[in-house]
Amino acid sequence: MRRPVFLLVAALFCATAVLILYRTFRLDYPLLPAAREQTWQLIVNVYLTPKGEESVLALALPLEHTGNAVVEERIFSGPYGFAIRTEGANRLGVWTGTGIGESEEITYRATIHARPRRAPTQSPLLGPYPPAVGEGERRLAEETAAPWLGLAPGPRLRAVAAFLADESEGGGPSAAAARGRWRVAQAKLSRMDAALALLRAADLPARPVEGLLPTADVHTRTARWVEAWTGRRWTGLNPETGEVYPETTPLLPLAVGGLPAVAARGAEIADIRWGLSRQAVSQWRLLYERIARSGHFLDRWSLLQLPPEFQGTFRVLLLVPIGALIISLMRNVVGLPTFGIFMPMLIALAFRNTGWLYGIAIFCGVLAVGFAVRTFLDRLHLLLIPRLAVILTLVVACFTVLALVGSKWGMREFMAVGLIPFVILTMTIERFFILVEESGSREALITAAGSIAVAVGTYGIIGWETLQLTFFIYPELILSVAGLQILLGRYRGYRLSELFRFRSLGETP
Amino acid sequence: MIGRGVRRLREAGVLGMNRRNAEYIMGHNPRSAYPIVDDKVLTKRLARRFGIPTPALYAVVENHGSIAGLAGLLGGLREFVVKPARGAGGSGIVLIRDRTEQGFVTQSGRVLTPDDFAYHLATLLSGVHSLGGTEDRAIVEALVHPDPVFAGVTVREGVPDIRIIVYRGFPVMAMVRLPTEASDGKANLHRGAIGAGIDIGAGVTLSAVHRSRIVAQHPDTGNPVAGIRVPSWEEMLLLAARATEMTGLGYLGADFVLDREAGPVLLELNARPGLAIQIANRAGLRGRLEETDRAPAALFATAASRVAWARQRFGRVAEQPAGSSPRG
Repeated sequence: MRRPVFLLVAALFCATAVLILYRTFRLDYPLLPAAREQTWQLIVNVYLTPKGEESVLALALPLEHTGNAVVEERIFSGPYGFAIRTEGANRLGVWTGTGIGESEEITYRATIHARPRRAPTQSPLLGPYPPAVGEGERRLAEETAAPWLGLAPGPRLRAVAAFLADESEGGGPSAAAARGRWRVAQAKLSRMDAALALLRAADLPARPVEGLLPTADVHTRTARWVEAWTGRRWTGLNPETGEVYPETTPLLPLAVGGLPAVAARGAEIADIRWGLSRQAVSQWRLLYERIARSGHFLDRWSLLQLPPEFQGTFRVLLLVPIGALIISLMRNVVGLPTFGIFMPMLIALAFRNTGWLYGIAIFCGVLAVGFAVRTFLDRLHLLLIPRLAVILTLVVACFTVLALVGSKWGMREFMAVGLIPFVILTMTIERFFILVEESGSREALITAAGSIAVAVGTYGIIGWETLQLTFFIYPELILSVAGLQILLGRYRGYRLSELFRFRSLGETP
Repeated sequence: MIGRGVRRLREAGVLGMNRRNAEYIMGHNPRSAYPIVDDKVLTKRLARRFGIPTPALYAVVENHGSIAGLAGLLGGLREFVVKPARGAGGSGIVLIRDRTEQGFVTQSGRVLTPDDFAYHLATLLSGVHSLGGTEDRAIVEALVHPDPVFAGVTVREGVPDIRIIVYRGFPVMAMVRLPTEASDGKANLHRGAIGAGIDIGAGVTLSAVHRSRIVAQHPDTGNPVAGIRVPSWEEMLLLAARATEMTGLGYLGADFVLDREAGPVLLELNARPGLAIQIANRAGLRGRLEETDRAPAALFATAASRVAWARQRFGRVAEQPAGSSPRG
């Protein structure tokens, strides 16, 4: 008997573990769904003044392949039509339409989550020199870069950066001379082209980038920098100062490869602002956005696919088995008496609407009134079913009075009283009365207190958001709860209350 | 502290509720046998076939319609007992010792008007006192006149009853439940009656338990509870031992009353006997149950051999060779 039980429990635990590991490692689910993640909220406001012809606005949208994940996008187009076009590595939002003549506002919002692990794996090819760089500058750049070619990509980039920052030294007199000549030559070039030429000469794939620096601010202009490929990832480099942007502060590139971040045709951009703000969003929310677009079997069959109005029910429902586990624990291991198994759980669910403090007050109040009336009814010699019907009516009457009092004083907790399961309360009054009659009021009060204690504990568990989200994303966890319930069912030891009850037997005579 | 408490109980061989339910009740009591013990009408019928005496059955009230006809059915009977057929814990039982112009006189001297009496029967039929709260039958049976042996430790003309735990046909533990003022003359421990352990070997009462506390005297009469020799002990043990064959239940509690004339009479059987008997006997049940499991197979054959072995094994006062230590 014992072996199959443990095999079954082990199988349930294993199934849970396998599903969770698959979800976290293969589908990249968060292990702690309630933990908060830092994200960027980007709001781009463009005021477009049409010039009376067809107007087109091309706005570079945040890029996903640069280590950032766009989890949510919202577009308010005004009278314009909207489409997303992919151009090379870029994503362009294109608004087209014939404006009425007045300035129209176009808004783009996105939630961007920096996920450093999601880097591209394909190595880019070495591109040509920028068009502005002539033959002579090319040779000078190659001469300047020659001493760095023996270095690994990372140090090579840092050498270029140091040179741009005028901190380069060493390499003997010939290298110093080359540096001097290059400095003269680069004065004719833009800093951007100079940096690109040097990186090309140093055999590092590089591209110009237009984007936003990660500062919570309203940017009226985009920033420009250079991205160089250092073997595994793109590294940002400021061409003006030679500063290499650290990996820990991911930049927000909008357009790469020289494409402008914003361009308009047939209209004038009256004003444009990129607003960036930090926002902590739970992993759960990020996952929610991601799963909605996933085609994987487990994602398609996730509870997150339910319409939001039904999700709330399941967030609570999935925790009810834990409540049942607690009740089993209380009764079989602690030995705390309760009115049945379901009564504390249903009361706990009702507490969600009334709050536990008001819930207990209402419960005790109605129980007291019900007990008084039941004691009186006992003298009337009513038959069982009509007697229960009278108590039921009394409970409903109490609820009505409470709701009216609540509405008079504006107390929502009392108005929600109707959601307390009245049938359960009716049966509790009857059982409480019989328990008082048969085993005394002490026993009955202990049982009522036990029921309330278990209800409050269960209420705490099912209202715990972290647990709710975890079970919602990993519903397979209830298999493990069932496993624990089975294990508890095999418990043959003493109840805590029995240590007290049989204490005289433990004393040595 | 908890660990020490658990170890002490385990060493004393105390049986806990969880183990009783899972191993002894689930393990030895087939569910199909429950109706026999849960319904006292069935118990009586079967007991007669097995030659186990029970109080004479006067009438069974099946439905509300026949309540009115009951008075006629009872004829000239002046004393009888009304109880639910499927009652639990002694609730709903009314002892009638006389009939007057006003109505029925109960054991405690209260007078029930015919209206009260009919209401009580209706309550029984509604199933208020029945095990599952389902509709029930009411039975009317002969009133037992208890043997005076426990008169000194009983109040209000209550009827003391003797509970014997029978495991696989072996009587392993016994106690007598003595009514008190607090229990309103009823022999139920949770209502305040006291339970005195009975030595299985000698049939002599031991110390007693009153609301989980050990007591030496009856709380109302003040007489010592220990040392009372139960008459017809051997006969009662044999009847109890045969209840296993009768019901097919491997773990049961048999409740007897000692009638002045008829001797041991079986009141009811219980498929889920309580654990307080351990406190009354100051001994653990689990040790005795496990010892019974190790008994030689040949002993299981007859009630006589089982009783003889159990008396010798679990007795601690007499019929024990000097110097052997008491169990538990």
